[in-house]
Amino acid sequence: MSSPAVQFRSRMPRIAEAAVERARLTVVPRRRVRAARVPFVTLVSLVLLGGVIGLLLFNTSMQQASFATTSLEDQASTLSAREQTLRMELDVLRNPQHVAEQARRMGMVTAGSPAFLKLSDGKILGTATPPDPTQDVRIVPPPPAKPPVLNPAPTYVDPPTQSSTQSYGHSSGLVPGASSDGAGHGDGTKNHTGHNNPTSN
Amino acid sequence: MRPTRPPQRRPRGSLRGSARIRLRVGFLIIAMVLSVFAGRLVQLQGIDPNSYAAMAAAEGMVQVSLQAERGDILDRNGKPLADSVDGMMVVADPLMTSDKAPELAKFLATRLDLDYFSTLKLLRTSGSRFEYIARRVPATKATDAVDAAERKGFTGIATRPDPIRDYPADDVAANLVGFMGTDAPLAGLERTFQTQLAGHDGSSRYEVGGGNRIPLGESTIKPAVNGTDLHTTIDLDLQWYAQRVLSQTIEDSNAESGMAVVMDTRTGEILADADAPTFDANHPLEAPDDARGARSLSDAYEPGSVEKVLTLSSLINEGKVTPRTRLSVPGELDREDRPIHDWFPHGLIHLTLAGVIAKSSNIGTVLAADKFAPGQLRSYLTRFGLGQRTEIGVRGESPGILPSDSQWTHQVQDRIAFGQSLSVNAVQMAAAVNTIANGGVRVSPSLIEGSATTDNGVTVGTDTTTTHRVVSEKAARDMTHMMERVIDPDVGVAPAAAVPGYRVAGKTGTAQRVGTDCGCYDGTFTVSFAGFAPADNPRFTIYVVVQNPRNGGGGGSVAGPAFSKIMSYALRRYAVPPTGTEPSHLPVEW
Repeated sequence: MSSPAVQFRSRMPRIAEAAVERARLTVVPRRRVRAARVPFVTLVSLVLLGGVIGLLLFNTSMQQASFATTSLEDQASTLSAREQTLRMELDVLRNPQHVAEQARRMGMVTAGSPAFLKLSDGKILGTATPPDPTQDVRIVPPPPAKPPVLNPAPTYVDPPTQSSTQSYGHSSGLVPGASSDGAGHGDGTKNHTGHNNPTSN
Repeated sequence: MRPTRPPQRRPRGSLRGSARIRLRVGFLIIAMVLSVFAGRLVQLQGIDPNSYAAMAAAEGMVQVSLQAERGDILDRNGKPLADSVDGMMVVADPLMTSDKAPELAKFLATRLDLDYFSTLKLLRTSGSRFEYIARRVPATKATDAVDAAERKGFTGIATRPDPIRDYPADDVAANLVGFMGTDAPLAGLERTFQTQLAGHDGSSRYEVGGGNRIPLGESTIKPAVNGTDLHTTIDLDLQWYAQRVLSQTIEDSNAESGMAVVMDTRTGEILADADAPTFDANHPLEAPDDARGARSLSDAYEPGSVEKVLTLSSLINEGKVTPRTRLSVPGELDREDRPIHDWFPHGLIHLTLAGVIAKSSNIGTVLAADKFAPGQLRSYLTRFGLGQRTEIGVRGESPGILPSDSQWTHQVQDRIAFGQSLSVNAVQMAAAVNTIANGGVRVSPSLIEGSATTDNGVTVGTDTTTTHRVVSEKAARDMTHMMERVIDPDVGVAPAAAVPGYRVAGKTGTAQRVGTDCGCYDGTFTVSFAGFAPADNPRFTIYVVVQNPRNGGGGGSVAGPAFSKIMSYALRRYAVPPTGTEPSHLPVEW
C-alpha cells in the first residue's frame, strides 16, 4: 500500500521531468504570418486614382468656368456698349436745344411772369402776366445773309411802248444761239424785253 | 572535359558581314547625332538663353492696357457738360495689308469716312507692323467696319479701345469747358484740370489658350485709376438760355461780340457765363479761331458808366455824399486836358446823386468824385476786385488794368470815376457790382463746386470762397435805391431792363472803345447793363456786355432787354417770389 507521500514522490519525477522538459530552451518554431497585401495596395491605388481624377475634374471645371467667363465678358461688353448707345440717345433728347425746338414745334412760348401765392397768409405776390410771343427768344440762328453773287438785285423792266418793235429788230443783230454762255446770256436778257413784248406775231 | 571547338573563321563574302564594323558604324552615327544635339543645346542654353525663354513665355501671353475712364465735367445739378463714350481705334498691320491695300483703303474710306490716299499710304507703310488708321470712332461703327472687312477676306485690321469725348449739349458752356484734340485737351477746363480728369491707365497680363483665359496661368493686374469728375457751378439750362438771348442780341444789334454773366448774389457762384459768338465743342474746328475761348475772362475792356456804381457807393461809404446830395451839373466840364461831356447834350441841370445815376451823367459823377481824398478811389476799386484776376480756374484770364498810384493823376481819376481809362473783364465787373447786391460784402466768384487744383497748382472752387466788406450795408442799400431809379420808365435810361412784378436795380454802361489800329478811341462803343433783382433781397446779379452794336443802340436799349429776359428766366427757374414792396422813389432832380 502506497502512502500519499509515496504517491507524491512517485509523481514528482514525472512532474519535474515535464517541467524540465518545458524549461529546456528550444527554438521557437517559425510561423509564417502573411498580412493581406491586396487590400493595402487597393487602398493606396484608390487614393492615388481618386486624387488624380479629382485634380483632373477640378482643372476641367475651372477651364469650363473660364469659357463661361469669356462668354459672359463678351456679353457684358455688348450690353455696356448698348447702354452707352442708349445713354447717348438720352443725352440727345435731353439737350436743351432739342427740347426747346420740340416745344416750339408744339407751339409753346416762353412763359410770362407768374404770380406767387404765399400760403402762410394767402397774399398774392406779383402779377401773373400772359406770355408775349413777340418776346420769344430766337433759339435757331437766322439764315446767313447771301453774298451779292447769289442774291442779285432784281432787274426792273419798263413795259415797252408800241414803237419798241423796231428796237426788237435792232437787237436781233446778235446771232441767236451763240456758243459762249456769256453771249447767250446777254442775248437772253436783251431779248427778254422782246419776249415780254406782246408782238403782233 | 569538353572538347573545345576551334574558333570558326568566317569565310570572306559571307552575307552576315562583320559585327565589329557594324558596331563601329552605329556608334559613329549615334555620336554624330548626339553631337548635333549637343551643339544645339550649347546654342540654346549657353549663347542666348533669355530671348528664347522670353519667347516661350510670351507665347499665349496677352498684354492689355486698361483704359482709365476720363472724369466727366458736370453742371451744378449733375448734368454732363462733357462725358466719355466708348470708342474704338482701327489699327492695321501693314505687313498683312499691303497686298490688298487699294481695295481695303477704298473699303475703309467709305465705311469710316477717311481720306483714301492717306489710308492707302498707311496700309502700305514698309517696315511697320502697326499703324493707326482711324482714331476715336464710335464703337459700333468701328466693329461693324472691321467685321465686314474680315468677311470680305481682308486681314490685318483690328480694333482697340479708344474712348471718345462727347459734349452732349454741343455749344452750351463750350467757352468754359473747352475741347479735346486727338490725345490731349486743348482748351478750357478740360486742359486746366487735366490731371484730375485723366486718371491713370492700368495694365493686365494673362495667359490665353484657345481664346479663353487660362485660370491658373500667370496673371498680373495693375488696375486703372479712373479720373475724378469735375463739378461746376454752371446751370446748364440757364447757360443755354443766356447764350441764346445773347446770340439774338448780337444778331439784332449787328454787334461784334457779347458776354453775359449770371452770379448767385450770396454765394458768388457763377450760374452762367455766356459768350457770343461761340463754338460747338464737338466740332471745334468749324468755328473761327477767336470764337473758341472764354472772352468773358480773357478780353479786358473799359467798363463805362457801370463803374459809377463803384465810385458813388465808395463816396457814400466815406460819408461824403448821400443819395439826396444836390449837384448842379453843367453841360460841359473843363478839366485839365479835355472837356468832359455827358451822353446827352444839356445846359445846366440840377440833379441829385440819384439823378446822376438815373440819367448816367458823367459830369455829375466827376463833380462828386472830386470829394475823394487822394488814393481813396484806387484803394476802394482794388477792394472791389478790379485790377486783379478772379482766379476762378479759367485759363488765360486777363487781370484788367487799374492804373498804378504813380500813373493816377487827377485827369485819370476823373475818367476812372465814370469808367474810362481802366479795363476790366466781365466776371471781375460782375463780382464788383455783386458787392453792392450783397450788402457791401464782396464774395469771391467761383466756377468749381468743392475744390480742384489747376495745372498751375492753384486751388480754386467754392471751398476757397473768401468774403470781405468793402462798403457798409447802408451805403449798399442807398446805392441800390439809386440804381432802382435807372429802371424807372419816367426818369431812368433803361426802362427796357425792367422785369415785370419785381424790383430791379441796375446800371447801364456805354463806354468808348480803344481801336487796335490807332490806339485811340475809335468811335465804337461797349454797351453793357449790370443789375440785380429783387432789389431789396437780391438773388442774382446779371451783367450783359455787347461790343460795338452797329445799330447805334446804348446800354439801355441793347443790353437792357437781354438783361430783362435772362433775369426773368432765372427768377422763374429758381421760383424767387417778388418781395411785394414798393420800389424806391428817390428824387432825381431838385
